[in-house]
Amino acid sequence: MGAEIDAHDLVQAAAAGDSHGWDGLVERFGALVWSTARAYGLSPDEGADVAQTTWLRLAEQLGGLHDGHDRIGVWLASTARQESLRQLRTRVADHADPGQEEPAAPAAATATPPEPEVMLWRVLRDLPEHCRRLLRVLSAVPPPEQEELAAALDLKVADVPAARAACLEEFRYRMASIGIKADAEDS
Amino acid sequence: MPRTLKDNLKKNHLTGDGPPVTSDPSEGFDMVNPADAQLLDELRRAASQFDPPPPAVVEAARSSFTWRTIDAELAALVFDSGVDRPVTALRGEGPRLMTFSSSGLDIEVEVANLGSRRQLVGQLVPPQAADIDVRHAAGTTTIQADQLGRFRADAIGSGPVSLRCRLAATPPARPVVTEWVPL
Repeated sequence: MGAEIDAHDLVQAAAAGDSHGWDGLVERFGALVWSTARAYGLSPDEGADVAQTTWLRLAEQLGGLHDGHDRIGVWLASTARQESLRQLRTRVADHADPGQEEPAAPAAATATPPEPEVMLWRVLRDLPEHCRRLLRVLSAVPPPEQEELAAALDLKVADVPAARAACLEEFRYRMASIGIKADAEDS
Repeated sequence: MPRTLKDNLKKNHLTGDGPPVTSDPSEGFDMVNPADAQLLDELRRAASQFDPPPPAVVEAARSSFTWRTIDAELAALVFDSGVDRPVTALRGEGPRLMTFSSSGLDIEVEVANLGSRRQLVGQLVPPQAADIDVRHAAGTTTIQADQLGRFRADAIGSGPVSLRCRLAATPPARPVVTEWVPL
């Protein structure tokens, strides 16, 4: 894919009824929506509901998005955040099982040390909530824009770089404290 | 997966004192320092491995496109007791109440849980007859609102739901569709 998919063109195509434009939006932003739901600690089932609701809402409002087409990622991230918070509130109200908050990295085999990716994922899971959330959204592929990350986390865009740097530092510190050098593989 | 990231990193990350490297263009952030860029790259690999969007979620996102309605008026969700009631309220003391509002019509809905199914009891305001399409994961269930605007749908599956109200008014009015809400 190109370095920048032109989201504006995709939205226009989809609004005109072109399903390829829509599929392009799903490809570009599907991981952002999913990662946002998961970043808020929703179970896979809850995350699936949030993701589908977010996309259905976009489908319903495509015709009405006359301006700000290039902000579609921000709209999606913001909607996914709001719907995630709604899920959390209704979950509490329903006494529902809180579910599995984070994807379980495969359990460690006792004999062999876990793969670096497994360790990394566990460290991420154990981070303070705001950092776990930020890095989970930031882990989406393709990576979110700064404005999209801000919308997913309800941060000011100007505050994102410092928040990101602080969370990466915390992450690196925790990795080091269990003896993992984050960038060791290329040394 | 970023393609040029590693190449950039190899030149710089060992010393860390080189000039800031512009990250992969797809990164979207300017001036990410190389060590951070590499850590993010590894996080993305882990996320892709352990928690990618499930295929069913991607498929549902794609097929959402087929649900779009042309020339309908959108009724926004303006109240949801599942979210808007005070945090201090007692839990689980009644059905969930929601109100959707458009310029000419309000739709009030009470949702009760029957195991994994949902029962919807609702009221159109102002009261009037209508055909109502209850749109949900398993398809569309069409019910009628009576002359007093009352309607009821039983055994709707959980998940996102939207109502499309085709009013019996004369002259014909545009249908009103509610925002999607997971029930």
